[in-house]
Order: sequence, then structure tokens, then C-alpha cells
Amino acid sequence: MTSWLIGAVVLMVGGLGPALWLGSRGEPVHRLVGLELGSSVTVLILLLLSQVAGQSQFLVVPLVLALLSFAGTLVFTRLLAPRR
Amino acid sequence: MTVPTTAPGFVSELLLGAGVLVAVASSVAALLVRSPYDRLHFLTPVTSLAGPLVGASLAIENGWGTTTGQILFVVLLLAVTGPVLGAATGRLARRSTEPDPGRSR
Repeated sequence: MTSWLIGAVVLMVGGLGPALWLGSRGEPVHRLVGLELGSSVTVLILLLLSQVAGQSQFLVVPLVLALLSFAGTLVFTRLLAPRR
Repeated sequence: MTVPTTAPGFVSELLLGAGVLVAVASSVAALLVRSPYDRLHFLTPVTSLAGPLVGASLAIENGWGTTTGQILFVVLLLAVTGPVLGAATGRLARRSTEPDPGRSR
């Protein structure tokens, strides 16, 4: 077991776990913070997993996730804004 | 688990450990606080500190090349977009909590 895999597993348990908990409970703004945290941690996990696999073409996945989570979160901030 | 025998290998593992530690500590701390603003504060170290630390660790391991370029680009993207998303979410949190000026009259 390489240190990259250990880092990915630790991030899944200690980073993604709290993010999923935050993203599933409470007010919409709190859940959105959980979604942002989960996206950021997932990008790091995917970077480490591509290193574990030894396939550099897998790096497209965290790249696309970083781009889509940015756009998606901005859309959520517009949709969750109170209408006045 | 393999033990690094070279100096770059040791530095790479050290940076990886620091990055993972920062990300896990920030996630757990975000879970412990209640205010959305405090939670946003704990989101920043993940994108601005843990990301570059993990990226630097991977860059040292892989050496100069297109793989390292891709990794650094992803990490840079994360570091640039993180504060933008934090500001947008903070503005949303303020708009959600402040009273509606139209209803006070």
C-alpha cells in the first residue's frame, strides 16, 4: 500500500465524511458549504488516486470536477438567493 | 507502505502528510462550528493550503513534465476558484439572514 493510497483513504474518511454530513443537514447555505468542501476534497482525492493508478490521463477527471463544481456552486448561490 | 530513501521522496511524503492533515483538520473543524461564516473560514485552508501542498508533493514525485503541469493546473484552479466561491456563498448567507427591507414598512 503506497502513501498516496493511504492519503486518499484518509481524505475519504476524514475529509469527505464531514463534508457529506454538512451537505446533508441544516439550512440550504450550510449544505452548500458542505457541497463546496466535498468538491474540494474530492478533487484532491482524485489527484491522489490518479497517482496510485499511474495513469496520467485520469487527471482529466479532477480537472473537469474543479471546473464543473465552480460553475455549479455559482448556480446554486443564484438559485438559493431569496427572491424579493 | 514503502519508506522513502531519497531526500525528494521524504519531502514529497512530508508535503503529502501536511496537505492531508490540513484538509482533514479543516473538514472536522467545519463540522464543529455552527455559523456558515465560520464554516466558510474553514473551507479556505482546503483550497488554498492543502491543495498546493498535495500538488507540490505530487510534482516532486513525478518530476517536470506534462503530468506535473496538469496537476499544478488543477491545484491552481482550485486555489483561484475557492475564494470566489467563498465570497459568493458568504454573500448568499448574508442575504439569507438579513431582514427583508420591503416587509419592514
